[in-house]
Amino acid sequence: MLDRLTSSPSSKPNAVRFLAWVFFSAALLFAIVGTLMGDSFYVRLATEALIFGGLALSVDLLLGHVGLLPLGQALFFGLGAYVSALVLKHWAASFLLAIAVSVALCALAGLIGGLIAIRSKGVYFALISFGLAQVVSKVIYNTRELGASDGMTGVPIVTVLPGLQTDNPLGFFIVTWVVIGGMYLGLRYVMQTPMGRLFAAIRVNEHRVGFLGFDAWHFKLVAFVAAAVVAGLSGALYPMLRGFVSPELMFFQVSGSAVVNVIVGGSGTLIGALYGSGLLTVLKSVLGSFTAHHHIVIGFLFVVVVIAFPRGIVGYLVPLLEKRGSNNPRGGQA
Amino acid sequence: MSHPSEQDAILSVRGLGVRFGELKAVHDLSFDAQRGHITAIIGPNGAGKSTAFNLISGAITPRSGQVHFEGHNVTGFAPNKMLAAGLSRSFQITNLFFDLSVHENLRLAAHYLEQGKGWWSPVHNSQVALARADELLTQFGLTHKAHELAGHLSHGEQRRLEIAVALASKPRMLLLDEPTQGMSHADTQETAELIGRLASDFGLSVLLVEHDVEMVMRVSDHVVVMAQGMKIADGTPEAVRANPAVQTAYFGDKH
Repeated sequence: MLDRLTSSPSSKPNAVRFLAWVFFSAALLFAIVGTLMGDSFYVRLATEALIFGGLALSVDLLLGHVGLLPLGQALFFGLGAYVSALVLKHWAASFLLAIAVSVALCALAGLIGGLIAIRSKGVYFALISFGLAQVVSKVIYNTRELGASDGMTGVPIVTVLPGLQTDNPLGFFIVTWVVIGGMYLGLRYVMQTPMGRLFAAIRVNEHRVGFLGFDAWHFKLVAFVAAAVVAGLSGALYPMLRGFVSPELMFFQVSGSAVVNVIVGGSGTLIGALYGSGLLTVLKSVLGSFTAHHHIVIGFLFVVVVIAFPRGIVGYLVPLLEKRGSNNPRGGQA
Repeated sequence: MSHPSEQDAILSVRGLGVRFGELKAVHDLSFDAQRGHITAIIGPNGAGKSTAFNLISGAITPRSGQVHFEGHNVTGFAPNKMLAAGLSRSFQITNLFFDLSVHENLRLAAHYLEQGKGWWSPVHNSQVALARADELLTQFGLTHKAHELAGHLSHGEQRRLEIAVALASKPRMLLLDEPTQGMSHADTQETAELIGRLASDFGLSVLLVEHDVEMVMRVSDHVVVMAQGMKIADGTPEAVRANPAVQTAYFGDKH
């Protein structure tokens, strides 16, 4: 089952690139049109979708590219959010400092978590990752200094660039768009390097990797730390958007949603993680305004997607786009 | 290392043994494989030859004995350390990256030649690995299949790719686990010739485990015969073929 969900749909990057263009253009257009229409609720919701999209990107790095199912990736997302909030509140209201400290601590936490979790495979890895997140979230939940179950409020407004503050909905949307877009491009680049290809080799046949002279464990650790940094950097943006953090950010609900986003969007494609986050944020918001039981609908949708489109939205669209592309040959000569 | 028979030995196996419960799967196995030669381990079913192969290649940790490669003790080395020492192996049950292209299988394996460099730059910068992959595609007649998924190849082609992947890092010794397993007669012939060429043209030392006795007798310089977990004979193919103990082991007492 996991194999079916984690195999990448295509080695041909053109259709995936096209879908990435569509996603980032549409997101920007949505935010600009929303702002022109005087809306801030939906612009902030779109920002939040992008931030959780960053968490989903980190899940796709592990699930879709290395073949590890992380059920506790929100640990690093929440850690990034708490560190960012603490730096902004108690140290200095500096965007870059909050980002830098969050990234550094999440890399360290990723290294420690990786050393614990990476030795295990399959369902054991998933459960250890889940367990680590449970432990840390419960510790924070019970730590009065960190606001315990209430979380921390009163994160100050930050100046990102002169004239651009985090309380400007469109301005902060663009900051998030640049950060998440940058991470997307960075990960896409890595997947085209021998490092990224070795991740694929581990996903396909980890046993053989050792006989090529490479220690698979070492590469899985690199991927795990990278995923912790991507999740942590995304999380660091959260308190800048919402002005607060809470232990719920580390709960299984968040980790599980990220996995659902990746699978609905199409694992192993990276851009699918962002499509999934966008779609499910919209669904939660739209359905949530009709019924309090929107999770039932989303759960049902997840089941339908896994059965009907096991490779997710992007995995379904890519072959269609490639077929269309090959039916309309352009006069491109080498 | 003063023993005269070890002078050109690239691989020396001494007193190798392992038990599975009460069963002595391999007991006190000793032999030398000479540099540039093809050495084969043969034996009837259940003789322990595959276990011996796994002990030598590090897939199973031996309970007793040692494996020396080029004078270094490599007993029980992890697969990646074994390859770094210069010993590579293939698998009896084809063990490829089935979801990746033929070219990608070879380029990944050949990336070892980049010596830890180039991990973070685009794949097309890994010139050494790419050149090696192209060379292997030609050598193994797989150029026209370069962009097909390894999983879509025929059985014979997969067996060839299996050997090519094991060779990509330019090892000094290649361990082949039943390289012609499940092959047609024609494919077996072709593979036997290929193995012969590896030793004669590239100076590669080869140790192979094989059930096809005729094929072994044709390509090998030295044959080790096992029965019931122990070595019963070793020598040139002719000497082994004439050995009464070997005939008994293979054909029973009546011969």
